[in-house]
Amino acid sequence: MLLLLWELLLPTKTAMAINRIKTYFTKSVHIAPLAVFRIAFGLLMLASIIRFIGKGWVYDMYIKPKVFFSYYGFEWVKPFGETGMYALFILMALAALCITVGFFYRLSSILFFLTFTYVELIDKTNYLNHYYFISIVSLLMIFLPAHRYFSIDSWRKQAIQVSHIPNYFLLIIKMQVFIVYFFAGIAKINSDWLVEAMPLKIWLPAHSEMPLIGKYLTKEWVAYAFSWFGCIYDILIPFFLFSERTIKPAYFFVIIFHLATSLFFNIGMFPYVMICLTTIFFSEKFHIWLINFLRQLLKLNMLPVTESVYQPDTLQVKLLKWLMVVHFSVQLALPFRYLFYDENLFWTEQGFRFSWRVMLMEKAGTAFFYVRDKHSGKEIEISNCDFLTPMQEKMMATQPDMLIQYAHLLKKEYEKNGLKDAEVLAESYVTLNGKPSALIVDKSTVLSHEVDNFKPKRWILPMPKNH
Amino acid sequence: MKKSFIYYVLLMGTISLCFHCKKKETDGDEEIGTFDKSAMLSNYANQVITPNFVRSKQALDSFALAYTDFLQTKNTVNLITARQRFIRAYSAFQYISSFEFGPSENEFIRASFNTYPCDTSQIKANISTGNYDLNLVANLDAKGFPAIDYLLFGKSQSDATIVSLFDSNAQATNRSAYISNCLNEMQTKLNTVINSWNNSYKGTFVASTGSEIGSSLGMIVNQLNYELDALKNAKIGIPAGKKSMGVVLPEKCEAYYAQNYSVQLAKQCLQNLENVYLGRSITGSDGLGLDDYLDALKAQHTSGTLNNAIKNQFSIAKSKLGLIQEPLSNTVSTDVQAIDAAYVEIVKLLVLLKTDAPSVMGIIITYQDGDGD
Repeated sequence: MLLLLWELLLPTKTAMAINRIKTYFTKSVHIAPLAVFRIAFGLLMLASIIRFIGKGWVYDMYIKPKVFFSYYGFEWVKPFGETGMYALFILMALAALCITVGFFYRLSSILFFLTFTYVELIDKTNYLNHYYFISIVSLLMIFLPAHRYFSIDSWRKQAIQVSHIPNYFLLIIKMQVFIVYFFAGIAKINSDWLVEAMPLKIWLPAHSEMPLIGKYLTKEWVAYAFSWFGCIYDILIPFFLFSERTIKPAYFFVIIFHLATSLFFNIGMFPYVMICLTTIFFSEKFHIWLINFLRQLLKLNMLPVTESVYQPDTLQVKLLKWLMVVHFSVQLALPFRYLFYDENLFWTEQGFRFSWRVMLMEKAGTAFFYVRDKHSGKEIEISNCDFLTPMQEKMMATQPDMLIQYAHLLKKEYEKNGLKDAEVLAESYVTLNGKPSALIVDKSTVLSHEVDNFKPKRWILPMPKNH
Repeated sequence: MKKSFIYYVLLMGTISLCFHCKKKETDGDEEIGTFDKSAMLSNYANQVITPNFVRSKQALDSFALAYTDFLQTKNTVNLITARQRFIRAYSAFQYISSFEFGPSENEFIRASFNTYPCDTSQIKANISTGNYDLNLVANLDAKGFPAIDYLLFGKSQSDATIVSLFDSNAQATNRSAYISNCLNEMQTKLNTVINSWNNSYKGTFVASTGSEIGSSLGMIVNQLNYELDALKNAKIGIPAGKKSMGVVLPEKCEAYYAQNYSVQLAKQCLQNLENVYLGRSITGSDGLGLDDYLDALKAQHTSGTLNNAIKNQFSIAKSKLGLIQEPLSNTVSTDVQAIDAAYVEIVKLLVLLKTDAPSVMGIIITYQDGDGD
């Protein structure tokens, strides 16, 4: 995409270029890649949900915790209790299944987006860029005609079946994948990653016991090689995926890269999600072949699809166009919002989330909280485990917005129990990328007086020089 | 299109090449963390963990013998001997409490042996009915060392009175049996743990050389921190009123009824943590431990290595803890300064062991599973 824009900047052929872009966006392409994408996405989500429930994480993350760290503006999102949460996950799984087979596709994609996103919004402790990616893709899928081919919907209602769609439907997904890789890549252009090879210099030697490759993981140059390769890979791979000439070697690298990440890091289903979903960049020939293969495998008797191009009516096209302009503008702008804050991004994490900053830092902390009686000056040291799960405590200790949220929660809790004018203070020691731990907040700030909003959090202690 | 791809690749390639050459010149072929983790785990299993369990079991058996003597001849001399052996067993326990994984975790050693303060009314009720099941969760704070502490020492009672409670008192038989039952449970559990380690678990433990949640290294470090946290809170902070607006709670001291031993037990707990950190055996020989691993990882702190910072902090914390007078249940009111001084140093040690060390080792301090980003 950026390359097309690049050509647009050449003064001679501006008009032609605009035309070329228009043609590129609207030309008819086969729908098979989109249908395969739908099936792959549905199956991956179904597997992820089953894995999530099977690991007991519904209980660990949404039933066991006594409190939840909500997102700004989404304080109304609350868990539904044990039965409710399991029902929600089962509903989500059903929606994923329906997406896979293309049964009531529009409804099930809306349902999947809502249930998945609702769950993610309950507690920012569980924020992962991967989950954010899934939320966005499922949102985009609502607007795609992915059920108009090789689906139960199109089998029941032959009239909606089409063989071709305008290219922009595929481009929506492709651009989103492009953004994920590209921003993950430019986020790696920082001195810790490139000059210090951090945090890989910590994470790779931790696997020195691995057979065959283990002995290389302790070499410093390997950490540098991985860091630089990761950065260059993330920045370049979306360009290579876009070009038919380079897609094959590019996909080879996609597989190598994601299998390596799944080997070294505890990142669950995400590598497989990316390996499967990037097939959308493959030629339509591949996807048509794949669908025919599936058709024979499942012994499905379906009427041959007559050549037809799906053409949404003008109002729909207009609406979609503006929705996507808004969506992608937001996508392009959000990762840069950190520029509004002057302190170190990794230390303060102001503007860190929703920016595809993946696996960028090794951060850990220990937080001590104190509730002080404003009148007597006497204080209690809090046992965080009385209120938080280990995961919540771990996340809270290093993330300033969560420190404030926890302070308010403690204030409320103690005032409910009769302590008037409770003041909550904290000391949290944080280590970032292997540097000595230092206080991110100390007792000179009454944390319960601070408000969590988008303004710079002035109470965050500066990152020490040696960090 | 094609051109710009090539430019991009060339540009990035050149940058990375220059960079690597430059790096090579200055640093040479640096190694980080070349370290024989399975040798370290083997040291922990063979020289640290198993011998401490065996010694703890021996101390417990020796107390059991003295207690049997006391039951046969109920006099103050035998009571005092039994008490001494009891304290020795309680002390030896401080050296196994930090190994609450694998077999110990299965047997709930920490909670079954040392949930304090004990629930004296629950103990009295159990003794009076003579009908109880020590396995019940409700009896967690009515058994183990704290329950025996209460029964052998009593609260402001003369030695003669205590002897009479086991001798002429109406519930003497039930009371005598209660301690025996507590002891039996502990001996059985320790036997199970030792057998497990000697049979299959040692192999499992040494073979688990990763750093992930549930790996041997992960469990050692997590339990080290759990125990240090218990030292900070349960052994000192809570009695000193850190969680009660400065209102001291002397009755929450460990070995409250024995008096005079709470600080000693705390010191032994800290000593054990240092032994674990260093990989030091019960004979005092320093084998491969976390200290060596941190050095292999070239972990640095503000001045010097992280390992030196931690070792230094251990010695400061130990010396400050040593300045607290027994009985702790009095000192919490009489010498707040000494307590606070020790407390502050223990907190510093906790930060180093819970934040800095695991972070450079790539270990997650959490008892919960989940995906990362």
